[in-house]
Amino acid sequence: MKNQVRALRLQKDLAQGQLAEAMGVSRQTINSIENERYTPSLPLAIALARYFGVTVEEMFDDQGL
Amino acid sequence: MIKDCSRFTRSRWFMLAFSVALGGVVLLASWLGGSLASGLIGLAVLTGFGLFVSLASGSETIRGLRGDGRDERFALMDLRATAIVGQVLIIAVIIGFLVEIARGHNGNPYGWLGALGGLSYVLAVAYFRWRG
Repeated sequence: MKNQVRALRLQKDLAQGQLAEAMGVSRQTINSIENERYTPSLPLAIALARYFGVTVEEMFDDQGL
Repeated sequence: MIKDCSRFTRSRWFMLAFSVALGGVVLLASWLGGSLASGLIGLAVLTGFGLFVSLASGSETIRGLRGDGRDERFALMDLRATAIVGQVLIIAVIIGFLVEIARGHNGNPYGWLGALGGLSYVLAVAYFRWRG
């Protein structure tokens, strides 16, 4: 699923590993989300949105659904 | 903000403990069957695998197999891999059952294994449906 995770992460000048640690997931999981190879669970999507101060809809593009 | 992913993880020593315990059971069964040497080989192989997985580091695959590097994505991969294993085993059991019937036998133990698999699947579906 298309998303703004990479853009928002780079805005905060965070490395994938730092975001992964904050979310309690592996760096590879963050990488997979950014590259649209993995769609996160609802709890993780909400946690990511809250972390960046945006809504889930702003972070994830549901046009493909 | 740190999510609680502890439900996905387990100790990095779990796989070593499990492998050694399984090796011990293999050793016991082999000893009871009069083949102590093959039991010792089984214990050594399983212990070696457990040590390798427990002491290796770096790879996400190793950490995922070990359990201490799991998160929701790896749990999903584990679920899918387990489903593939189940499908492979079901196909093998069905083929074994058919071969045994074609050879004029009653199809066992493949018949029992197939029945166990089918019953387990139905019960699991019923349980998950009940649980919602």
